[in-house]
Amino acid sequence: MLFVQLIYEFFKTGLFSFGGGYATLPFLYHISETYGWFTAKQLSDMIAVSTITPGPLGVNVATFAGFMTSGILGAFIATTAVILPSYIIVIIVFKLLEKFRRNRHVQAAIYALKPAGCGLLTAVGVQIFRENVTNIWAVILFLGLLALTFKANRDPLIYLGISAVLGIVIGFCHLI
Amino acid sequence: MDKSFWNIYKIFFKIGLLLLGGGYVILPLLQCELVDKKGWINGDELCEYYALSQSLPGLIAANVSIFTGFKLQGYLGAIAALAGCITPAFLSIVMVASILAKIVNNSVIHYVFWGVGVGVVILLFLAVKEMWARSIVDKFTWSIFAYALLLSVLKVSPVFVILSSIAFGIVYKITVKPKKENE
Repeated sequence: MLFVQLIYEFFKTGLFSFGGGYATLPFLYHISETYGWFTAKQLSDMIAVSTITPGPLGVNVATFAGFMTSGILGAFIATTAVILPSYIIVIIVFKLLEKFRRNRHVQAAIYALKPAGCGLLTAVGVQIFRENVTNIWAVILFLGLLALTFKANRDPLIYLGISAVLGIVIGFCHLI
Repeated sequence: MDKSFWNIYKIFFKIGLLLLGGGYVILPLLQCELVDKKGWINGDELCEYYALSQSLPGLIAANVSIFTGFKLQGYLGAIAALAGCITPAFLSIVMVASILAKIVNNSVIHYVFWGVGVGVVILLFLAVKEMWARSIVDKFTWSIFAYALLLSVLKVSPVFVILSSIAFGIVYKITVKPKKENE
């Protein structure tokens, strides 16, 4: 029964998440609230781990979530379930490529989908902000990193590196 | 080097290994390996696959791998490319997940995660900013953004948000701009 739920939830995540790895997060938060297979805090730790391990974020988080429920078999099942919709849909689209691009209903759907995906992701950002930025030092770190983003640097590793080092410094000064 | 299952798998394994910081960086990696080094597909095809992958459900890196693999060698090529791309991700997470429970009580690890928890918010901010630039182009798309954000805060299922947004988009295009561009 657990495997059926895993397949169902992760297949759904792969099928309905538009806009890349981060778009899977609203679904994964929903899963964590519904089933309690993993906590919201673990999920946010995994986002951090995902950015310093290879592979697409969505695969990383699915593998992790599956592993938390039932070990390596669960990890394999969740990963397969999350990418299976891609396999089916991409091959169908490949075959209908010309038709797909010119259909105005498809274009209208994509036109509305992109801002919807953006809105969903913003809500996740707000939630993670409220969970992780909980004291004055976190607020200061957040504002400092935010200022850095306006220097037009988009390499994720820089933000994670700085925040990890400052986390250790602030931690050893007993400020957390 | 021929386009065998095993060769496609190996190339995508290498790309998957280099996919640090999320799937968004797959395009330059594929460009380098498949267009410049091997010449298996051309740059225009690759860009087309990437653009389409972004508007289809699922992970962008997985979608691009499937498109490219299918182009190279049909159904089996798509499986080879997809499996290659995600194997490094799968193995690294299984390793990390099995030691994560043991290391979270270590104080240095704890501090790192405290700091990185703040860093992740910045990454989401950057992702939203980039999506915003590509998607919010007029009042309608702005309204959809606000609608999705509100419903999501109210804990409505994202599946409902996505499906209702598709419906709004189609209805809006039919009613607001009727036959404006008549072929």
